[in-house]
Amino acid sequence: MSGSDTQRGAEPEHDHEHHHHEGPGYATPQAAIEESEREKLAYVMSLYVGTDVDASDFVAVVDLDPDSDTYCEIVDRIEMPERGDELHHFGWNACSSSCHMDGLERRHLIVPGQRSSRIHVIDAKDRRNPELETVIEPEEVFEYDLSAPHTVHCIPDGEILISMLGDADGELPGGFLELNDDFEIEGRWEPPGEIEMNYDYWYQPRQNVMVSSEWAAPKTYYPGFDLDDVEDGNYGQRLNFWDWEEGTVEQTIDLGEEGLIPLEVRFLHTPESTHGFVGAALSSNVFHFYEDDNEYRAEKVIDFESREHDDWDMPVPALPTDILISMDDRYLFGSNWLHGDVWMYDISDPSNPRRADSLSVGGTFGERQEVQGRELAAGPQMLQLSLDGERLYWTTSLFSSWDDQFYPEEADRGSVMLKADVDPRKGTMELDEDFLVDWGECPEGPARAHEIRWPDGDCTSDVWQ
Amino acid sequence: MTSHDVTLEWPDGRTRTIAVREDETVLEGAERVEIGLPFGCRTGACGTCTGRLLAIDGTKRGDGVDTGGGDVEAAFAYRRPPRALKDRHRDDGYVLLCIASPRTDCRIAVGSSVHTELVENPWK
Repeated sequence: MSGSDTQRGAEPEHDHEHHHHEGPGYATPQAAIEESEREKLAYVMSLYVGTDVDASDFVAVVDLDPDSDTYCEIVDRIEMPERGDELHHFGWNACSSSCHMDGLERRHLIVPGQRSSRIHVIDAKDRRNPELETVIEPEEVFEYDLSAPHTVHCIPDGEILISMLGDADGELPGGFLELNDDFEIEGRWEPPGEIEMNYDYWYQPRQNVMVSSEWAAPKTYYPGFDLDDVEDGNYGQRLNFWDWEEGTVEQTIDLGEEGLIPLEVRFLHTPESTHGFVGAALSSNVFHFYEDDNEYRAEKVIDFESREHDDWDMPVPALPTDILISMDDRYLFGSNWLHGDVWMYDISDPSNPRRADSLSVGGTFGERQEVQGRELAAGPQMLQLSLDGERLYWTTSLFSSWDDQFYPEEADRGSVMLKADVDPRKGTMELDEDFLVDWGECPEGPARAHEIRWPDGDCTSDVWQ
Repeated sequence: MTSHDVTLEWPDGRTRTIAVREDETVLEGAERVEIGLPFGCRTGACGTCTGRLLAIDGTKRGDGVDTGGGDVEAAFAYRRPPRALKDRHRDDGYVLLCIASPRTDCRIAVGSSVHTELVENPWK
């Protein structure tokens, strides 16, 4: 942290008139809970890359309306124009951070290919039948010495920011690519070289802060997970805290050996908050970070023990690969992909998360290994929560080459999407055995399923200004 | 432009021999004749397109030829450095078909399962 000149923690200089909200999204997180309808469709990243199925990755439109005849079915597929993308994470052109922007709509999905570096723009005006609108080819991205697009967030003025994990050759450093509101590359968002590794990021504009996490160089993680790379220090263990307006790193926190591979990073939704969480996948820990006297601090607050398995040589780490925070900032949810757990912690006191409940399903140790007679080939992975906090959904694919390493059967069976009913009042979860979406039944062959988004904003994309 | 006969062998026993020009990669040669091979980045960074060299010019790989990845180096010219492969992979005959152009007739194991040979589950 660069001393006393920081704007962080200062009162906002602009006058944000929430009651004149005309743009996309909701005026506050509580308004999102109150004003939103139940999710009836999900967009889910779906992929064939790395398999012998000679077909393009696609965005699946999943029917989530229990009153519909096609409930739990993939009702539309938006196929990518080329193969080899590895669709992974995606985002909207606008979210609640732009709720002051009259005329802006939450209409376009920005869908990057993690391996191809191709960036697709999908027009989702017709929520049930979206259409591919624009494609930014990899060569255009490489011109900015960036590759491997990951997290997409909109910027409050209508532009779009994408974290990029590598340079044009798939090596370090990564950076950030900015698109304008016509979905053209505006340029690099930050002065190149601010960071080495990159992965996920989240920002709190009212606090003028952004936080980014670290996976590794694309050439390191693309082929699969190799312990030699851990020993060689090729995986990340740092959080970078940025001046959001300047695009410069103000502080870097090294999480140490207990913070290896910090992946999904989330600030609380409350725009005033400086508290957040990050899951350190390889160390099986969750860290809480927060601002204290103009400086960010990070402390390990959740620790998952490795488990012994009769057929495995070494204790199996939990690999908590995804976390999310409920819209009311009351619960932290997460997935232990290798063990096969979905968990929820009460974070009313963010420094001292209290375990509320968990489900043991799929994975290496899951108590339940099939749903509706469908054998589960992998553990819970990407999560999405309804805005009211009462329905938690998840898919099972992490990354095609890592899936093949840890859950090779998923290539033959495909992914599933499952759901738990959550009681936020009691802090409990129950698996909904009537809910199953099966990517094993796709027409071209079994597909994998990754990140989930709702048409009208969700707990892992909306930011408030 | 000189071309070489490259025989692609899938795990299910299927084989196809295609003429791949020296100025195109094996992946491009396969695409030209509408054979679908796995690929990802097309820049040699991701390893999705990995194949394994089985033989050169009818000679089984390693027969009287030098070690240290020499077989692959004799059989292919890379457009760019094969970043997704470590030394041990190159020594074992793995080759990135998105950036490798043939310099001799050869046989290659292809299909997504070749890529999965690059790394193991370290805990199992």
